[in-house]
Amino acid sequence: MKKILYILATVTALAQPPVAPTGEPVGSTRGDNTVGYNVRQSFELGYRYHSIGGDEASYRSTVNYCNGVRLLGSSLSMQSREGHGRLFDLLQLNTQGLGNDPYQNASLRLEKNKLYRYDLSWRSNAYFNPGLRADHGQHFADTVRNWQDHDLTLLPQSPIKFFLGYSGNTQTGPAITSAQLFDTRGDQYPLFANVRRQQHEYRTGFEVGLKGWRLNVMHAWVDFKEDTPVRLPGVSDGYNTTDLTTASSFQRNEPYHGTSPYWRVALFKESRWWAVTGRFSYVKGQRGFVQDETGFGTDRFGSNVSRQTFTTGNAQRPAAAGNLNINIFPTAKLTITNQTALSHIRMSGSSVFTQLVNGLPQVPYVPFQFLGIRMITNATDANYRPASWLGIRLGYQFSDRRIRSIQAFNAVGPQTPDEQTNGLHTGILGIRMRPIKSLTINLDGEVGRADRPIYPISARNFQAFRGRVEYKKGDFRFAGYVRTDYNVNSESISNYASRSRQYGVDGTWTISRTFYVDAVYAKLHLDTLGTINYFSRVGNSVVNVPTDRSYYVSNLHTANLAAHFVVRDRVDVSLGLSHIQDLGDGRSTPAGAGLYTALATFQSVQTFPLRFTSPQGKVSVRINEKLRWNLGYQHYGYAEQFSGLSNFRAHTGYSSVTWAF
Amino acid sequence: MFRVLRWVALSVLLGLACMPVAAQDFVGSNVCRTCHPNVAANFFRNPHYKSVASGAQPGANVGCEGCHGAASGHVKAGGGKDTIPRAFSKLTPTQVVDTCLNCHASTISQANIRRSEHTLDDVVCTNCHSIHSSPSAKNLLKTEQQRDLCYGCHTTVRAQFSMPFKHRVNEGSVQCTDCHNPHGSFAATWNMGARPRMVDQGVGNEEPCLKCHVDKRGPFVYEHAAIRVDGCETCHNAHGSTNARLLKRPVIFTVCLECHTGRGNFGRQANGIPTQATFHNMADPRFQNCTSCHVRIHGSNVDPTFFR
Repeated sequence: MKKILYILATVTALAQPPVAPTGEPVGSTRGDNTVGYNVRQSFELGYRYHSIGGDEASYRSTVNYCNGVRLLGSSLSMQSREGHGRLFDLLQLNTQGLGNDPYQNASLRLEKNKLYRYDLSWRSNAYFNPGLRADHGQHFADTVRNWQDHDLTLLPQSPIKFFLGYSGNTQTGPAITSAQLFDTRGDQYPLFANVRRQQHEYRTGFEVGLKGWRLNVMHAWVDFKEDTPVRLPGVSDGYNTTDLTTASSFQRNEPYHGTSPYWRVALFKESRWWAVTGRFSYVKGQRGFVQDETGFGTDRFGSNVSRQTFTTGNAQRPAAAGNLNINIFPTAKLTITNQTALSHIRMSGSSVFTQLVNGLPQVPYVPFQFLGIRMITNATDANYRPASWLGIRLGYQFSDRRIRSIQAFNAVGPQTPDEQTNGLHTGILGIRMRPIKSLTINLDGEVGRADRPIYPISARNFQAFRGRVEYKKGDFRFAGYVRTDYNVNSESISNYASRSRQYGVDGTWTISRTFYVDAVYAKLHLDTLGTINYFSRVGNSVVNVPTDRSYYVSNLHTANLAAHFVVRDRVDVSLGLSHIQDLGDGRSTPAGAGLYTALATFQSVQTFPLRFTSPQGKVSVRINEKLRWNLGYQHYGYAEQFSGLSNFRAHTGYSSVTWAF
Repeated sequence: MFRVLRWVALSVLLGLACMPVAAQDFVGSNVCRTCHPNVAANFFRNPHYKSVASGAQPGANVGCEGCHGAASGHVKAGGGKDTIPRAFSKLTPTQVVDTCLNCHASTISQANIRRSEHTLDDVVCTNCHSIHSSPSAKNLLKTEQQRDLCYGCHTTVRAQFSMPFKHRVNEGSVQCTDCHNPHGSFAATWNMGARPRMVDQGVGNEEPCLKCHVDKRGPFVYEHAAIRVDGCETCHNAHGSTNARLLKRPVIFTVCLECHTGRGNFGRQANGIPTQATFHNMADPRFQNCTSCHVRIHGSNVDPTFFR
């Protein structure tokens, strides 16, 4: 048993999570018994610190841990010993990062056998987007997103169950966005925004079982509301300071409300020879909005200009989907599954657009948009196991998608949508082998052909291969993984091809009860070649460059190393390293020689070499059975090769006490 | 005489049929406790203990024998793995699924397990769940954290979550099951239904991204059709990326230009995806950040070119 737990702990170390909270347990593993309950708990209270060199904004967008006292982690479990507790039989509470960590979460399960089960999940994520320079970003955001999910199941073990649920999602915080004024060739201006978004979802449903069949019905109401006011803080020349446009005043209000009530009905049964699952869902999404926007300034000719626009309208998106899965088990060695899926989604909307320029009303227009997508998919898989060590899988799938579209302005009378259909056929062959007990080999291949993909980068003629080998004996485990995806989507004057190859090996070795090591290496290669069509200045005029090519290359090498050892059953020492390095296409300067594109702007972004390294170390000392002292350090180093503007180095760490009482 | 014998034979057969023969094979969990005290001592923490606590279920569904089968033969033989009717280490993957689905087939989230990629790859219940020695607080997972379980096989996915820009899975803010259903999902309603697999849909069978990124859902008067037709992964790498905003490219304009070629019969109107307007001078940095002007790139109610 101990060995298993140590192996499990090894895998935990592999993930290279942030250095805190500490994983080592405190308290009795058997817990303490009191008034019919078995209680286990632990609390880790500590202090985080950090120091940053380089671009702090970049640190905040990728790591974001700051100084302060935190309840780094906590766990409380109360379990009825006989399963007949008075109010509950199980209480399980877990928290992480409470205090002021950027990533905080808490979960609670409360359960009384046969009567109810309640699950709560709460999460908070502080998201900082600095508008990275490499992204030419101008959209800053410093928002906090909070999620909460409540699910109550009544009579969870009876043939009839009832469900009640609520989910909330809010996003608030300051941001900077931009607007382009006062005509299509005008300048862009930074605007302050106060982000206020919230969604509430209320769910109710039931499940009933009769003669092996189960019927599950869920009805929910989803309400969304956004009211983010946008303001220009003062007179601005805009991002382009060489032109004549200025903005002296700008404000925009756009209250945006909507609801998406939905129904979901599922019917399913599992028997000895067959199983069937059917599901139907319908959601009626709609949104109503008003946008009022006022701006003053000078246009690109230097003349004073005022512009007020007022838009109101509605958008609808009803969506229906049906699924039918049939599984047949004619023999113990053969499983045949067939899945049919049908989905139909319609998006339509109209808005009345009214605009006054210098106080003069322009002709209002009423645009109408419609986009309808209907898709039918059918997939059949046969899984045959001729021997206990060998399994073969064959599969075939076809999808048929019809897209209908209307884009009309001031249209009178019914419109005829443009229509297109796309068919996809794929075949799958897979083999699973276990020639000896400790060796597993999985191989899969897939070939697909689509006749009319909707986008140049969509899957058209593609093939994929996936292979995995795992050797596991005793405390040693070694695995290798390979995956390739090739896609070619070319027409006579438009070419696109992508090649993705991924390789990975990982090994775990528990050398002794007190020492284990782990290593992972993965290489992710991607190269895509596509025709691009753009405009660029040549001499005094902007000319079309219709057949340039974008050739993007990424060669990502990743490694994770971890070691854990125990000294005299008292001190746990963990060491870890995470290293990410994109070598790009091998060149050392932004300008590339011999690339397809001639424009320097494109050459510099055809590859993005960088390095992101994070070593960490942690010591946890067991002071007594119920108390531990922990100390950890983690370094982050981020370096882009072509531009050092976003680079940073950060030292983070923590010291904490883990306590059970 | 023959008629009497026939009635006697029929009566005997009926009597044998009515005898509770099967019940004699079950010995009860207390007998198991005699030789397996470590397992029994902590079993009250196990969700399967509900079957024992309820006291209302038949022997075939209760405690140890509910999963491992009737144990009388095992007891008579004085132990041994070969005498356990269902010793999980000896079962084939299909048998493991069959055993667990005896009870767990009644949950809709597991209704697709027969055709899930995991089951087809022989990754079945006991590969991820440990019934007797689970360190996790919920769901009897084999690891304390869900992510570590998934990373155990999905090596390259773990690499993606180690990138500078990623969903905060390692930080504990997001879990794999927020987006995926490891027990198998219904066919995706985007991207031609072929891929991605094992993705748990949101409301109205939409992409799971919209569960959290609710402001991107719409509906909008002007939809960016790419999102609705081929999904968010048209432009983003969902797990992690070396590029800001999880984009597929380090800068936004190459993301846009790879589709907006104006060529062929691509696009929602099947006449090519619109190219940029003629005044866009790509040599000028002003035009290189497309979303500086096309702010509402995920959808707009006011402007068909997503200006506001």
